[in-house]
Amino acid sequence: MKEVEKQLRLVSDFQIDCVLVGGVAATVHGSSIPTQDLDICYSRDKANLTKVVAALRSVNATLRGAPKDIPFILDEETLARGLNFTFDTDVGNLDLLGEVRGVGFYAECLVNADEIEIFKYRHRVLSLRKLIAAKRAAGRPKDLIALVELEAILEFRDSDRNKSSRDQAENTNG
Amino acid sequence: MDKVEYTEKERWLIEPKPGTAAARARDFGVDLSLTVNNLRLTPEERIKQLDSHLDGIRELRNSLRWISRVSERVA
Repeated sequence: MKEVEKQLRLVSDFQIDCVLVGGVAATVHGSSIPTQDLDICYSRDKANLTKVVAALRSVNATLRGAPKDIPFILDEETLARGLNFTFDTDVGNLDLLGEVRGVGFYAECLVNADEIEIFKYRHRVLSLRKLIAAKRAAGRPKDLIALVELEAILEFRDSDRNKSSRDQAENTNG
Repeated sequence: MDKVEYTEKERWLIEPKPGTAAARARDFGVDLSLTVNNLRLTPEERIKQLDSHLDGIRELRNSLRWISRVSERVA
């Protein structure tokens, strides 16, 4: 089993309430631009933080990019005090986002998520439209190239839907 | 290598009309033939392909590190 697959299985095995956002979500929607970390927007209720902590401990998560001498206790209290965290884990880079710029917190991500089955588990994936909004809001150079590709995918998808509607209308009208 | 055949629908991305998002993406440097290849896959297959790409990048990095170490020793 490979890295992203392991990361997805981790969030499903621990039944973490989250929405896939960022590059992996873009890949799921059809983007060809590779990404090296899994970004999830997670529910910050207490029960979910307990599941997140258990999942992170199981893969020996440490803060990514932080000096080694900075003390970090991985528990519910620490997660509740922060919002966004970036981790190095045994299954690769895992980023927890309490808020997604351009979209909002977990509740906003959840109502704007598609349910997609991957590796026999239904994952919530931020919708293509909201992913575009997030990339636009982030505005970093790497987001801009992803943005133009995602807009092309959206246009491609919509063109197909518009064509289906036209065909249906033509068939109905006879 | 066999020539890739595109459907009429896929040509929307491969031969974009001026002023479309696909044309903007192409002009920005996105290789939309890769996007079309990805869109032909299921979400699960897309993740597997991403994992394969990441493996390739890791192998390349390891090779570059090895070359760098050997070059230092020779110098």
